[in-house]
Amino acid sequence: MPHQCTNCGRAFDDGSKEMLSGCPDCGGNKFQFRPDGVDSSNPPDPDAEPPEPPEPPGADSTVARTVGKTAATVRDIVGGNGGDDPSVGADHGAGSSTGTTGAEGTSPETDRNEAATRPEVEAQRTDTEDAAQASARADVVTPDELPQEPQTDAESEHRFRPVGADPDPPEEPEETERPDLKELREELNDQFESIKVLEPGQYELNLMELYDREEYIVALQEDGRYSIQVPESFRE
Amino acid sequence: MGLLTNLKDSISRAASTLFSEEDPKRIGIYGPPNAGKTTLANRIARDWTGDAVGPESHVPHETRRARRKENVEIERDGKKVTIDIVDTPGVTTKVDYTEFLEHDMEKDDAVRRSREATEGVAEAMHWLREDVDGVIYVLDSATDPFTQVNTMLIGIIESQDLPVLILANKIDLEESSVQRIRNAYPQHETIPLSALEGDNMDEVYDKIAEYFG
Repeated sequence: MPHQCTNCGRAFDDGSKEMLSGCPDCGGNKFQFRPDGVDSSNPPDPDAEPPEPPEPPGADSTVARTVGKTAATVRDIVGGNGGDDPSVGADHGAGSSTGTTGAEGTSPETDRNEAATRPEVEAQRTDTEDAAQASARADVVTPDELPQEPQTDAESEHRFRPVGADPDPPEEPEETERPDLKELREELNDQFESIKVLEPGQYELNLMELYDREEYIVALQEDGRYSIQVPESFRE
Repeated sequence: MGLLTNLKDSISRAASTLFSEEDPKRIGIYGPPNAGKTTLANRIARDWTGDAVGPESHVPHETRRARRKENVEIERDGKKVTIDIVDTPGVTTKVDYTEFLEHDMEKDDAVRRSREATEGVAEAMHWLREDVDGVIYVLDSATDPFTQVNTMLIGIIESQDLPVLILANKIDLEESSVQRIRNAYPQHETIPLSALEGDNMDEVYDKIAEYFG
C-alpha cells in the first residue's frame, strides 16, 4: 500500500489510477508515499511516519520519490507492449520467488550495472511489487557481497543488486535485441521528472515537462514531495 | 475645467468598456531571472494605471508568484488597447539556494526562496500553456541571449502561435548589445529599452498596441 490519502488515510496500490481523480472517499488530492510494511489503516501522522526506504546515493536518489508519480504512465506503456515482452513477466516471477539473495554472484556484472543506472527498471516493478521485491529494491549491495570479479572503481559500491533473481540468462538482454525497451527508456527519460530535488533548496527543472503536464505543482515540500493541482477534467 | 475633463474621461472610459468587443488580452511577461520583467511590469502599470505590480530587486527570483495587473489601458494614436499584464517568475532550469547566500541571506531563507522560486517557475510554465494570449519576452541585453531556456521558451511560444514581442532591456548598461539579441532571434522584432530609466517606452507601447491590440 505505498500511497495513502493524507486526509482520510485510505491506502492505494502503487500505480493506482484511482488517485488520479482524487481520493474516492474524501475527495482529497494529497497523498503520501508509504513503503511496504507500514500499517496503512492508520491515519496519517507526521511523527509516526516511517523513513523512506534506503536509496542509492548520487544521481539515483530521487528515483524512489518519483516512482509513484510515473508508475501509472509506466504501467500504461508496459501494459501496451507487455504481452509480447516475456522478460517483464519473467522478471516479476523471479523476483517474488527468490527475493533478494538469489542473484548474488550469479548475474553478470554488466547486467547489474544496467539495472543500477536505469530508473525505469525500478518504475516498472512498482506495479506488481510484493514484499520481496520491495526489499530487493531497497537493498544496496555492499562491497562484501559483490562477486569476485575485479572492480576497482569507486562507483561500484553504489550499485544495485538486480531485483530479478533468474540465475542464468541475463535479465536485460542487449539493447539491439530489445528495441521496445530502448524506446521505453527514452520516453521515460524524457518525461521522467519535472522537478528533480537534488537536495532541499537545490532543484533542476524540466521545463518541457512542466509545460506539457496538465496538472501543475502548487507546493513543493522539503523532502521532495509535492502537491499537484488536479485538472477539473480528471475529477469526473 | 478639470472636472469636465474628468467627466469626459470617465464617460469615454465607460463607453470603451461597454463597446469593447472582447475581453482584454492577457499578456504574460516572460524571460530569465533578473532580466527586468517586474521593472517593466511596474513601469507599464505606473504609466497607465498609477499602481505598481510588485517589488523589484537585484536578487534573482524576487518574483516567485505570477502577479497580474488587470485592465491596463494603453492609448496609442487615439486608439485604446486594454490588456491584463501578468508578471511571471524568471524561468530557469536550475534553482540553487547557495546563489542567494551571496546576497546576505540566511540559509533557511535562501532554501525557502529557492523552493518558492521553483514553484513559481512551474506555475509560469503552466500559465504559458493555458492562460496567456500573448507574450512580452524580456531579455537583459547585457548578457548572452543564446541560452537553453530562452531558445526553449521562445520555441514553445512560437509553437503556440502566440504573438511575441522581444524586448532588449537594460540598454542603459555599458555592456548592452541589442544586436546580439537581434542576431539570436532574427525571426522576431526586437525593441530596445531601459525599463529602469524609462528609455524608449513610447516605441514599446506602440508595439504593444500593434501586437496585442
